[in-house]
Amino acid sequence: MKIQRKKNIKQKRSKKPLKREKSNNGGSFRLEKLVADLGKTGKDLREKIQQQAVQLRNINLQLKDGADKQLKSDEKIHKQNGELKNGADKQLKSNERIQKQNGELKNGVDKQLRSDEHIQRQNGELKNGADKQLKSNEQIRKQAAELKNKKGQLKNEVSKQLKAEEQIHIRTKAMEATVDGIFIIDAQEPDFPVIYVNQAFQKMTGYSKTEIVGKNYFSFYGDASDQRVISEIKNNLLQDKVFHGEMLSFQKNGKKCLILLRIAPVHGTHGIVTHYVGLQTDVTLMREKEREIEDQREELLHVTRVGKLAEFVSSLAHEISQPLTAILSYAQAAKRMLGSKDPEISRILSYIVSDDQRAADVIHRMRSLLKKNRPEMKPLNINNLINDTIVLITTDANVRRTILKLELEKDLPLVCGDRIQLQQVFLNLISNSFDAMERNVEPREILISTAHKETGMIIVSVKDSGSGIASQNIPKIFTHFFTNKPDGLGMGLSISRSIIESHGGQLNAKNNPDRGATFYFTIPVEPKTS
Amino acid sequence: MMTNKKTVFIVDDDESICRALKLLLTAYGFQVSTFLSAEKYFSAIQDSEKGCLVLDLHMPELNGWEVLKRVVKTGSKRPVIIISADENGGLKEQALKSGAVGFFQKPVKDRELIDLINKTYLN
Repeated sequence: MKIQRKKNIKQKRSKKPLKREKSNNGGSFRLEKLVADLGKTGKDLREKIQQQAVQLRNINLQLKDGADKQLKSDEKIHKQNGELKNGADKQLKSNERIQKQNGELKNGVDKQLRSDEHIQRQNGELKNGADKQLKSNEQIRKQAAELKNKKGQLKNEVSKQLKAEEQIHIRTKAMEATVDGIFIIDAQEPDFPVIYVNQAFQKMTGYSKTEIVGKNYFSFYGDASDQRVISEIKNNLLQDKVFHGEMLSFQKNGKKCLILLRIAPVHGTHGIVTHYVGLQTDVTLMREKEREIEDQREELLHVTRVGKLAEFVSSLAHEISQPLTAILSYAQAAKRMLGSKDPEISRILSYIVSDDQRAADVIHRMRSLLKKNRPEMKPLNINNLINDTIVLITTDANVRRTILKLELEKDLPLVCGDRIQLQQVFLNLISNSFDAMERNVEPREILISTAHKETGMIIVSVKDSGSGIASQNIPKIFTHFFTNKPDGLGMGLSISRSIIESHGGQLNAKNNPDRGATFYFTIPVEPKTS
Repeated sequence: MMTNKKTVFIVDDDESICRALKLLLTAYGFQVSTFLSAEKYFSAIQDSEKGCLVLDLHMPELNGWEVLKRVVKTGSKRPVIIISADENGGLKEQALKSGAVGFFQKPVKDRELIDLINKTYLN
């Protein structure tokens, strides 16, 4: 390479002067110069060739040296080749051996592989088995958990069941213990058969459970019971309505029994009426007591009405009798004075006398009709009388939202009096208090008190918080026909006063310091007990 | 005023009755004095004065019963005849028991009243 490059440089240099010659054409000088240059160049060339020859020689020497070295190297290579061949043979043999060994190994490996495969397969199978086992174990665990859960649920269920049973037990006990008769009728059978009754029902009807269950409920009212009410009850039930009412029924022994009856339909899961459940209460005694109280009220009211009318008539009769008396006396006097002188006038005066007498007779008859009963004076306890009277007006007091307070002195001696008349007075005073508090804002309260005075009198007072009495009216309230009430007759207090006076006592009234009025009466203690 | 006429005192709060009875009894020849209240009678007439008392029951303030009681209590022998417009079976008995000589229901028949007054003068 080095050499080639040198050649190229030489070529380039030789070309350059030629070009210059062309541009400097003509002149000897230039020629001379050219020859000189040529000489010089030749010289240079020779030098250079010599130089190159030396270089070539050197190179040859070097080549020769290199070839020797090459030869030696070749020999070495040859030798090495021999050795290599030897080695390669050995290697081949070894390779063969190795190959053989490899084959053997391969065989072994194959076997091994096969065995491995087998093992793998077995492993796989084992793994599979293990997986299966794991899965199975998991399943077992799951099942165990489920079982545990189920056990818990079952335990829950059992305790729920126990509670439910306990509740049913309590309910059944309660149904048996209640004093109201309870019965259940099968609604899906046509004849209203009873499927359950409690003890109170058996007691109320007089029939035993075995006589009742399965039989028509309505047969236990007795044959004499009102069929119209029974059909009304049946109609209600068939229309799925509740029945609420009273029924006169007859016990097994024929005894009358008034029952308060309530029957309601029981709806099943599909909304169909499956049963009727009923409750019946024996109200015989209650109604009897109520009727007794009502009778007493009625009697008292009647007595009061009659008393008022009698008092009214008596008062009217008194007022009319006065002028009739005067007229009669005038006529009789005139007749006495003029009669003998003028028979005509005498006759006229006789007519006046007889008509006056007729008027007096009318009054007399009217009075006889409303003759006051003679008071029945008996020893009585005034506190008991007050308590009995309160019972009669409790309903009225409730309606009027009035509280009745009692402050009755204990162990009062007996008084002698007419029970009905004294009740009449007492009721009249309370009724007046009711009216006086009509416009009161609540609380409306009446205080009834009794006390034993040392003077041998018992004092009964009725204190209200009503409108009180205008002071100018206090002297008038006990007179006939005086009233502040638009529908009042003005008889109550005058009758009351005359009753109390006929008992030897006094009835008075006063305004309370704060509000309302107090009416109080005295009544002498019965001599025997004082 | 001394006369031979029999004297009658009338106590009644009804003015017309007093007037009518006075007319009547006067016509029959009695000497009559009337009083509209018991108080007026007691203050005007002495117990010792002779005369029959015709007494009404219903009067304000002192009523007939109280007057009768008072008359009886003084020990006076004055006969008292009660006249009343009230009608009650027990009144006559009560009046006689309390010391009255008689009881008449108003309106009073002249004959009955005069006979009784005359009768009291017989004793």
